[in-house]
Amino acid sequence: MAASGKGYKRSWKNLLLNKRYQLRFTIFMVAIAAVLMTGLGYFVMKKANEATNVAKTAVEGRACPQIPVLTDNGDDDSGAVQMQLDEPSGSAAPAPAPAAEHHVPSSVDPKDVAKHNAQQDLVVVASQWCDAPASCAPETAQPLLIKAPHCNAYVKQKLADPVAVDALRAATISIVRCDGEGGQTVTVPDALEPPHHAVVQIEESTMTLTPAPPPRVPADYGNRVVAHWTCELEIDGKTDDIERGRKHILLVLIATGIALMLGLALYGIKMTHKVAGPLFKVSLYLAKMRDGRFDKVYNLRKGDQLVDFYEHFKAAHAGVVRLERDDIEQIKAVIAAARQAGAGDHEAVAELEKLLDRKEKSLE
Amino acid sequence: MSDIPPATVIKDGKLDGDAPRERTESRPVYKRKLSNYLLDKKLQLRYVLLVTILSGLISGALGYMIYHQSRMASESLENGLAALTEGDSSWDDVQAHAVADLDSSDRALIYTMVGVGIGLVVILSAYLVIMTHKVAGPLYKVSMYFERMADGRLGNVTPLRHGDMLQDFYGNFREMHESVRTRLQSDLITMESAATALRTKAGGDARLADVLDALDKHVTHRKKQLL
Repeated sequence: MAASGKGYKRSWKNLLLNKRYQLRFTIFMVAIAAVLMTGLGYFVMKKANEATNVAKTAVEGRACPQIPVLTDNGDDDSGAVQMQLDEPSGSAAPAPAPAAEHHVPSSVDPKDVAKHNAQQDLVVVASQWCDAPASCAPETAQPLLIKAPHCNAYVKQKLADPVAVDALRAATISIVRCDGEGGQTVTVPDALEPPHHAVVQIEESTMTLTPAPPPRVPADYGNRVVAHWTCELEIDGKTDDIERGRKHILLVLIATGIALMLGLALYGIKMTHKVAGPLFKVSLYLAKMRDGRFDKVYNLRKGDQLVDFYEHFKAAHAGVVRLERDDIEQIKAVIAAARQAGAGDHEAVAELEKLLDRKEKSLE
Repeated sequence: MSDIPPATVIKDGKLDGDAPRERTESRPVYKRKLSNYLLDKKLQLRYVLLVTILSGLISGALGYMIYHQSRMASESLENGLAALTEGDSSWDDVQAHAVADLDSSDRALIYTMVGVGIGLVVILSAYLVIMTHKVAGPLYKVSMYFERMADGRLGNVTPLRHGDMLQDFYGNFREMHESVRTRLQSDLITMESAATALRTKAGGDARLADVLDALDKHVTHRKKQLL
């Protein structure tokens, strides 16, 4: 290459001359940078997250001026339209009792009233039908079972008594039966069926809707609303800024890391090329020397490393060339002396001439 | 160049007159020493400094960011605490204690990072000196052989140590060295046999005899150089 006289120029294709050496050093350098960037970057983000959380908490914890609550007259904050139920005068309705308390029969509750009336009817039945000589236990809407001597005659006599029959009707007892063998069962005519529903009476009531007075608006109400929302929006903006700052750090770290890796990879290859280049050049000369060619050795390019090493190589090359030249001088002297002595045709001289020719060609 | 005869190895690379090498003459086993690790300061320190400075810069920059973020968090906490306890002197002690704790934590972070950074630089430098020594070592060895070649001495070449780099390059060098040595030895044999053959023909030719004596001396000297 050097012998051809063409100016060798660095090209990107030739940058990787000694892959093993160059890649090893470059990858090591890139790996160190990657480990540092990743490890320290992780800690940076950890601290950045902490700082972000603290800053966000501090911002969000800031007290904003509150919006004043509008009230109608200052006594009631509900602001609802009032409703008034007018109670009829003199009708003091009892307050509803707590559910857990013992139930006291009410004089107005239809259910309690009906029960009370039924008890009264049974008392009347008992007085009419169960006095001596008869005995019985009347129950509302149940057959009346009577024990009495000559029971059938007793029942017939009672059924003729309108008061006794009315008492049965009032207690909704429609059947009277004599207890014992041969006892008759008599149906009470027109006995009342037991009522299935309680009778409810609704009393009249009135309701008056009174419009609430208009709310009282403070004089600086508008300013306070603006101040409140300005503060809230500022908090939101600052929170977003803080979060954006955290993301910015992350992006800068990633971008810096990638740029650093690429830059280092290129720089590493180029830097090691300055070592691999001279080694490659020396290898070319070594191959020539191995094949018996001792061409002129050219200098390294500007910027190459291993300058001292290359000087050693040049000296070695010159040393071998000197050996060859010494041999050439000796051989030439022997050949000349042999020819003068008349031994120029000797086979040994021919061998020496062949050797001389090879050595001279190797130095061209 | 195609008419140049290939080099031939004669009797395992030794001339007939080569004396067998004695074990006592063998070179002492070279051991790695700490003082020998910086064989090529320019080459090694350049790479070591580059990686170390780069690592230092990355660690410094990111370390500063870590400290900055930590300091920001601390200052935010300190400000928040100050705002909470403003006008209430009973909290002064608590606040001072908290601020001192935060400052102490930040200082500890700095010390830790500086310590880790220094450790990193020291370990990296040591490792890189060893790593570059695996390149500088073979180059140093080849340089020594080059010096010998410059003096016309072409003795034996020993292999590289295990773990050295540039094995391919060293292989090329060894191949060249062996080839040149073998070829010169072969040439010596040719010259020696020619001198022997011509000496019988020299008869009373004093000049030829002198030239052959000089050739003999040259061959003897060269043999010593090739040992």
